[in-house]
Amino acid sequence: MFTSSARTKAARIAAPIGAAAALLSTLTGCSTAATEADAPATAPVNASYSDGTFEAAGAYQSPNGSENITVIVTLKDDIVTDVEIVTNPANPTTANYQGQFSDGIGALVVGEDIDSLDVTVVAGSSLTSQGFREALSVIKADALES
Amino acid sequence: MLSKVDVGPHATSFDAIGVPWRIGVHDESTPTALLGNPLDGHDREAVLRRIEQFDRDWSRFRSDSLVSRIAREAGSWLLPADAAPMLALYERLHALTDARLSPLVGASLERLGYDAAYRLTPAGDALPAPRWADTIALRDTGEGLVLDTVAPVLLDVGAAGKGYLVDLVGDLLASRGVTETLVDASGDVRVRGERSIRVALENPLDPSKAVGVAELRGAALCASALSRRSWGAGLHHIIDAVTGRPVAKDVIATWAIADSALIADGVATALFLVDPARLSAHFSCEWVRLSSDGRLEASPGFVGELFA
Repeated sequence: MFTSSARTKAARIAAPIGAAAALLSTLTGCSTAATEADAPATAPVNASYSDGTFEAAGAYQSPNGSENITVIVTLKDDIVTDVEIVTNPANPTTANYQGQFSDGIGALVVGEDIDSLDVTVVAGSSLTSQGFREALSVIKADALES
Repeated sequence: MLSKVDVGPHATSFDAIGVPWRIGVHDESTPTALLGNPLDGHDREAVLRRIEQFDRDWSRFRSDSLVSRIAREAGSWLLPADAAPMLALYERLHALTDARLSPLVGASLERLGYDAAYRLTPAGDALPAPRWADTIALRDTGEGLVLDTVAPVLLDVGAAGKGYLVDLVGDLLASRGVTETLVDASGDVRVRGERSIRVALENPLDPSKAVGVAELRGAALCASALSRRSWGAGLHHIIDAVTGRPVAKDVIATWAIADSALIADGVATALFLVDPARLSAHFSCEWVRLSSDGRLEASPGFVGELFA
């Protein structure tokens, strides 16, 4: 899935800047090399930030050697409106782990509570039929016993 | 097999073809949060009969269906009057996806365990679907559309059948004078009349969350996701007919909006199999898709909001 260069884009995230700073430090937290950043990663949480797109590259030593990721954050009115994570794994094992990592970020940022929305209906995939659900629960029970 | 359950004072509810349905009759003053008023008893009975007829013709989960008879012996089969639009859509999507979307995947699904008995255990290696041109031919006759088969073949209309049934139910109601309707068959929705509705796009990984809201007026929206009908590692109901295997989970959910639920349902399925630009070039439709890495994309003309 993630080959020599993988990109993860999580578009239009509304998050306070403090959360973004925390996110950035998490992303680069395991770097052993210096981060090369335009963003003021250590600025106070209540500061006002310039609008614009900021990029930070992080490098770290994995058991497979040196690996890189790049994080691109777009700010507007102190809100993070876009986060993009570019992974450049040099090694397939790393690609796998970076892929999982990127998946986690994506899962983190997607969605608003349906209960809070004024909607008429909800469209997910089809609710599964009773027979399908019953069969699945049997399989789960079997799996527990074996 | 239909069971009838009414819940609450609003809209008509029942379970049919294995999923909950809701139908509301509305006007422009109906609040956004409501589907509308219930059908009267006669209309409701007519709808249930129509769904039962479709199920008896097209379900591969009942042994008395036309589809099950076609699976038992080769021959020439006179198809019901509703067949032509649905099979025409399948032909278009079959061509646009380079044969990856096909109504001939019934045996492939059974091989993977998604059969009438819900065995849900693969019975061997993946089985590619038979090639359309080698297996079936459609012929217009004075009596109607005829399907010629050279061998028994198990049809599966899962890619677009439920959406099409939403259209057929709305058509039936319109023919009975009930023109302002909202038909919601669990993921396949069509609204008719002047009213605008808002449809939450459910996050397939968390049903309490929406990844967006679509505004819908005089159109249909159909959703498809790999997570709900999944019965094991890598096993789910969206099949690549060429390989007979479930598609890779790069795209995990799709939504399509079109004038009819037939097209919206078919396009929502095809979005797992082909570049959206190719579908947009051939169908008047809008789309949203969610990838496994959390990426959420929509067509330029999508009307609504995305939250990701």
